[in-house]
Amino acid sequence: MAGKCPDYINDLSDYLDGGVSPELCAEIEAHLGECRECRIMVDTLRQTVTLCRAGAEEPLPQALENKLKSLLRQRWEKKFSK
Amino acid sequence: MKFCNLLNHFDYIGDRMNEKELVRKAQSGDFDAFAKLVDANKERIYSLARKMTGNDQDAEDILQETLLRAIDKIDQFRGDASFGTWLYTITLNLARAQFAKKKQTDLQPLEDYLPGTFVNGGHHHEGSALFDWKDPHKLMESEQLRDIIDKSISELPYKYREAFVLRFVEELSVKEVARLIQQSEASTKSRIFRARLAMRDKLSKVFENEYGGKVS
Ligand SMILES: [Zn+2]
Repeated sequence: MAGKCPDYINDLSDYLDGGVSPELCAEIEAHLGECRECRIMVDTLRQTVTLCRAGAEEPLPQALENKLKSLLRQRWEKKFSK
Repeated sequence: MKFCNLLNHFDYIGDRMNEKELVRKAQSGDFDAFAKLVDANKERIYSLARKMTGNDQDAEDILQETLLRAIDKIDQFRGDASFGTWLYTITLNLARAQFAKKKQTDLQPLEDYLPGTFVNGGHHHEGSALFDWKDPHKLMESEQLRDIIDKSISELPYKYREAFVLRFVEELSVKEVARLIQQSEASTKSRIFRARLAMRDKLSKVFENEYGGKVS
């Protein structure tokens, strides 16, 4: 039995993570087949995560790298010379 | 002393024995061992701090403070979690403390991030049709896109930003996120989803504003 869009919104999270029962999954997919709005919702929610995921790690600026090196060394020597 | 760059992050994660040995050496005062542990984790910590604070200066401060605290407390590290996770937790606590001082706005009610179709009743409202942004990489330069994403993340209220970043940028499991932010799995899941909806909504508005005319 097909429900309306608001019935699915809270399940979309689990659906996107692959965490819904086969029954609910089939029901959601049946709804997606006939509802453009929900299809766009699912696609753009997926895209949101894909976009944020890409290229997350960044190298440290060289100046920071140098500053840290001496700062950590100092703190280390202070701690272990006691 | 040279910071050792030979140690590849991924090889490193796969080698907890090596890590245990480095920790043991560091705890007995070997700075080079500590530096290797830092090298294996610093970029991840810095990226995390950048996402959490939304700017380079705060991220640098937090990275620095994380590593100094790690030195101060290295004797307390028991090896229950990996050294990276331990550093991670320190970073998160520092970022959270920084934001605790500032006044935090909450997210709007869920409905505000949903097009009319998804709000009770399910009927369409005027102008509420969903904007389908397809692949934004086709619409703008990666750098511009990155700026838009970073800005949108930094606009999320802190508790949502934290959950979102850990789950989707750092790709941790819901369980791991829940442990790090000290919430139940249920409330963590709900935070993550609300943040995801809010992010989708923010990005959607930006893309529609900038490129609405070009996509159909
Ligand atoms: Zn629908």
